[in-house]
Amino acid sequence: MSHQLPAILFLLPLFAAISMPVVCLKHRHWCQPISVAILAAMVPVSILNLHNVIHHGEVRYVFSGWAVPLGIEWVADGLASIILVLLSVLGLLGMVFSGPTSPKDLGGRIVHYYTLILLLISAMTGIVFSGDLFNLFVFLEVAAISSYALIGVAGGRALFAAFRYLILGTLGASLYLLGVSYLYAVTGTLNMADLVDKLPFLLSSKAVVGGLLFMFIGLGIKMALVPFHSWLPEAYANAPESISPILASLVTKVALLAWIRIVYWVFNASILINDIPILLLVEVAGALAAVIGASLALAQRNIKMIFAYGGISHIGIILIGISQGNPTGFVGGVFYLLNDSVMQAGLFFLAGVAFCQYGVRTIDDLGRIGKQAPWFTGSLIVMALGMIGLPPTGGFFGKWHIILGALEAGNYVSVAAVLLSTLLTLAYFARLFENIFRQTSTRSDAQSGEIPLSFKLALGVTSAAIMILGLFSSPITQLLLSHALPPAL
Amino acid sequence: MIRPHDSIIVQTLGRFLIPVVQIFGLYVLFFGQYGPGGGFVGGVILGTGMILSVLIFGHDASRSQIAKKVLHGDGVGMLIYAGVGGLCMIGGGEFLNYANLEIPGLETASRRSLGIVLTQIGVAVDVAVTAISIVFSLSAEDIIEDSING
Repeated sequence: MSHQLPAILFLLPLFAAISMPVVCLKHRHWCQPISVAILAAMVPVSILNLHNVIHHGEVRYVFSGWAVPLGIEWVADGLASIILVLLSVLGLLGMVFSGPTSPKDLGGRIVHYYTLILLLISAMTGIVFSGDLFNLFVFLEVAAISSYALIGVAGGRALFAAFRYLILGTLGASLYLLGVSYLYAVTGTLNMADLVDKLPFLLSSKAVVGGLLFMFIGLGIKMALVPFHSWLPEAYANAPESISPILASLVTKVALLAWIRIVYWVFNASILINDIPILLLVEVAGALAAVIGASLALAQRNIKMIFAYGGISHIGIILIGISQGNPTGFVGGVFYLLNDSVMQAGLFFLAGVAFCQYGVRTIDDLGRIGKQAPWFTGSLIVMALGMIGLPPTGGFFGKWHIILGALEAGNYVSVAAVLLSTLLTLAYFARLFENIFRQTSTRSDAQSGEIPLSFKLALGVTSAAIMILGLFSSPITQLLLSHALPPAL
Repeated sequence: MIRPHDSIIVQTLGRFLIPVVQIFGLYVLFFGQYGPGGGFVGGVILGTGMILSVLIFGHDASRSQIAKKVLHGDGVGMLIYAGVGGLCMIGGGEFLNYANLEIPGLETASRRSLGIVLTQIGVAVDVAVTAISIVFSLSAEDIIEDSING
């Protein structure tokens, strides 16, 4: 039974998504409880799967029993299983949070709304598990198409943002597909394990280099790497409050994970490919993203825009970590990826609470929340500590390992980029707090009513998770070192 | 809003043509195992037959009622497909490994054959529903809206 777990993890949300239009045809209010139940079932299954992978080694699951390289393969190794636990926990929280915040004027479309969220979750599961370059593309597209629709749900400016995301996202997917077809033309296979056997003899081929670069640019658009980030802030800022935490915390990170898979597992990243140092390229792009994203965050006034740009800069920090070419940096990058997903989810929960509970969208109005909202302010402080990277939180240990890795590799520019982006993060959070604690507005029309339980749950669990990731950083990094390292390192 | 076509020739021909199209669609669907054909093509033909009846008789006609009912079926086809896959998992094999479709009295070859037919039916239903809903959403959004809001 245990070898079925990766497939079950993928099929649970998929089954729920496709049966939702039938089950909830007459009972619309069942949508949210069913979605929460499915995600709640995914959490123990993913933990069981991780336990199984740690104790019995990676699971390779072949759909319909066709042997690879012809068949479609699911690879549940340590890295994928750890990410899956994160994905199901954050998905569950996002689903709990989306109860009171989901758009009110959807009518019967609410069924389709939850169908799309579940499809998005199952597609992301597919991206994490896929052992095949083409299926990776298919799931990237399923995830992207669901996100376009979910962002556009709110109407108005969100439609414009969703359309822009659609154009850029399609461009990214096409470039990725182009890269895959180059590799396929050279090697004649799409299975990752099979490519590992065939690529070492073909590294001098221009098609392989071209394919890898196309895949990098394509996935770069998907993960909102500077300079391809322009779709993200608008799209996440205008998306409905209920869906932006799931989008911000998972979609870009999963694309990044796909890139990690390709560069470390398919290509042996430490080798120069046709004299082009791929890792150096990734590192420079990451350093630029870390600094530029944080600087742009300083210039924003909309809370969600600040957090979105913060996410862009953190993508850069993760890329710096994984591109150092040594285990310390890699583990730091992956650990920071876990942290950043939790922090992004928490920040967008905060932005959602600020708007739905207090009607606040920009930092100028933040003074209205101030002292009467202990849950809001308390978790904002924890998130800020995590984003800046102060010691008790997971953010600190992630950055610490990344910097250690960069020092080990002698890349002082990367160290400087991480530190500079940390300073800029400190600056924009200082601005947030200044506005909260300075009583500029004397209007006290903010609703001081009790905030709903689901808000407390979402904020409380993410804040606690940031602390727990910090306090247990040493066993987690040990786990990553022993089970999630690519064969090349 | 699609009005009935006012030509008597179109109406009469449609009455003969639509059943033939539907039967041909079913033939293509079930013949897919032995030759060219299969769920996707069969579904397209089945959907086309219903679209034809909507175009000829208008979407309020009693002949077009089935097409409107079918709109509720988005997801049913996928459910059949995934359900067959799930049965294979319960039988102890991988997802969609038809050899593990636990049906007593059937040999492995027959199980594989049956499994393929069932999944192809699922594909056909989904493709037909998609084709019809594209036509409806291009022609009369209020139908889609009504069907969503029950």
